[in-house]
Amino acid sequence: MPNINFKGGLKIENPYPSNEIDLIRIPLPEKVVLPMQQRIGNQAIPCVSIGEHVLTGQIIATIDDDRCAPVHASISGTVSAIGNHVYAHQSGLKGLCVTIESDGKDEWVDTSIGCTENYKACLPLTIYDKIRISGIVGMGGAGFPTHTKMRLAAGCKNIIINATECEPGITCDAALMEAYPTKVIRGVEVLLHITGSEKAIIAIEDDKQNSINELNKYCNNERIEIKVIPTKYTSGAEKILIKTLLGIEVPSGKFASDVGILCLNVATVVAMFDAVVENRPLISRAVTLAGSAIKEPKNLQVRLGATYDYLLSFVDLEEGSHKVTMAGLMMGVNLKGTDYSVSKNTNCIFIDKAQENVVAQECIRCGMCNTVCPVELLPQQLYWFSKSENIEKAMDYNLLDCIECGCCSYVCPSNIPLVNYYQFSKALYKKQTQEKTQIEKARERFEFREMRLERNKRERAELMEAKKIALKKKMAKDKAQKEKIDAALERVNASKIDNKEEDAS
Amino acid sequence: MINAISTLSVLALLFGLGLGYAAIRFKVKGNPLVDQIDAILPQTQCGQCDFPGCRPYAEAIANGEAEINQCPPGGQEGVDALADLLGVETLLLDEEHGETKPKRVAVVDEKVCIGCTLCIQACPVDAFVGSSKVMTQVIADECTGCDLCLPVCPVDCIDMIEIKPTIKTYVPTLKELVHA
Repeated sequence: MPNINFKGGLKIENPYPSNEIDLIRIPLPEKVVLPMQQRIGNQAIPCVSIGEHVLTGQIIATIDDDRCAPVHASISGTVSAIGNHVYAHQSGLKGLCVTIESDGKDEWVDTSIGCTENYKACLPLTIYDKIRISGIVGMGGAGFPTHTKMRLAAGCKNIIINATECEPGITCDAALMEAYPTKVIRGVEVLLHITGSEKAIIAIEDDKQNSINELNKYCNNERIEIKVIPTKYTSGAEKILIKTLLGIEVPSGKFASDVGILCLNVATVVAMFDAVVENRPLISRAVTLAGSAIKEPKNLQVRLGATYDYLLSFVDLEEGSHKVTMAGLMMGVNLKGTDYSVSKNTNCIFIDKAQENVVAQECIRCGMCNTVCPVELLPQQLYWFSKSENIEKAMDYNLLDCIECGCCSYVCPSNIPLVNYYQFSKALYKKQTQEKTQIEKARERFEFREMRLERNKRERAELMEAKKIALKKKMAKDKAQKEKIDAALERVNASKIDNKEEDAS
Repeated sequence: MINAISTLSVLALLFGLGLGYAAIRFKVKGNPLVDQIDAILPQTQCGQCDFPGCRPYAEAIANGEAEINQCPPGGQEGVDALADLLGVETLLLDEEHGETKPKRVAVVDEKVCIGCTLCIQACPVDAFVGSSKVMTQVIADECTGCDLCLPVCPVDCIDMIEIKPTIKTYVPTLKELVHA
């Protein structure tokens, strides 16, 4: 039996404890802003025009790349804008978004076509296709398209359902499990049907007793195991979870699918159930609203594209200046203001009272970061290399294996934002590699062009030479012919004269 | 006496054969220094250095016919890297050859293009697609932003557009991240 624990990591108390974690359905937003660029892959291509009336669940943007997912209208109404809008991203850059103004009716597309309850009669490929066109992506935060993940993990032996909650303070997955325990269990059954794998494990941390009870109540399938693991931060990271549950270590640079494991977030499974059985594409998700400036943390079931301001109107927000964080305190990004909209991977929005910035001190080489790193890297070494922009050396120390969990920054007594240094190094590495391949391509194309021009020149010269020789030969042949003709003419003339002479005589 | 001479002669002959074989077998094709210099150059193939491409410029540097500061797309960083490789004092980028500009890409104005194909012939990396009397297009991924298509276009339908960072290509600076 593998050890139900892992090296490193942190036990962090929930910073925003609350007794109630009910999932609250909120009224439809008046407008939604749907981002076209998802976390990875190419930008989705809008297939509606301004002024067009769309139904809830209608595809409004298609994809040309397997690493992103189509986007659906999350409310019915009129497309009012297709243009640039600021994204909930650290850069604060704008990107393409489709804005829909609600007509308040929430009219759906036809949801009767599909597999319904009788999904076992459908071919796995049909269900897979359904998942693909339903725009489902990993809802834990990674946003990787589920259909691609399933394709990569085809023939997998084990399925792991990640119900551990990403970070302390986020409770949206627990709320979802308490609200829809049957959907979770039956979603896993759908997964077992499609993949044909033997077993599925639902992993839950031991602080979510209510969710565990709910799931146990509805689970009567011996192929599904509900496993309780100790509450410790980063237990929800895919590779660590696999190691914890199965004792399998996913090698560096490989994915869970490479070792025959399909790992999905519990919210993704629910979305998949909705898509396959209820024929509803991904148009809403659970979002945790919490923070020191929010009196009572809440979990809201919201339509995608709803604005942050709209969500915040459902909680008691304290006055004053705020610090807005999306996707968690440890791994999330700080945002300027609240002029953003909920995307498929927005699991939480934290509004904290603004505090004075902590000043980072020099590294005192205490080594605390080394002891908490759950992927057993050397954060201190990586910090020095990143600080001096020595990317090559950082790569030698396996920087790419860093899961950016932020444990090192959390424990650092000098308040050094270590994880930010690693993010910088990774981004720089990515950029440099990309530039290198581009330079290599330009060099190849330039050299090929030179070669081609050279070859054309040579071929042309050869052709001219061949023509010249042919012409000479022809001329020589012509000359011989002419001589023959001349000789014949002469003979004829001579014989004519002879005949005349004979006649005369 | 004879023994010593014959032994040494045989040895000399053997070593000679060995060296002769090695000279043929392990011959380095081309000048490795040119390759190293070429690896540093940005492969824009723009010709601003007065040579018809990055490799010719690399050859000129290797032969001592050109200075190391004639490549504006490579910027001061490129000059420094070349100085580092060649073990010489670094120079300031020669402004006579142009200034360093952010990376750009050629865009054809579809309404104006007459399909003269002159840009196709001018492009050093074959980044144009088109044919006679047909609208020409740029393969944006292949374009190095060298500007060589601009002077040959008779109707002035090519624009050089600066590539702006998108959410996907954004690289934060260390300062931004650490003070975030």
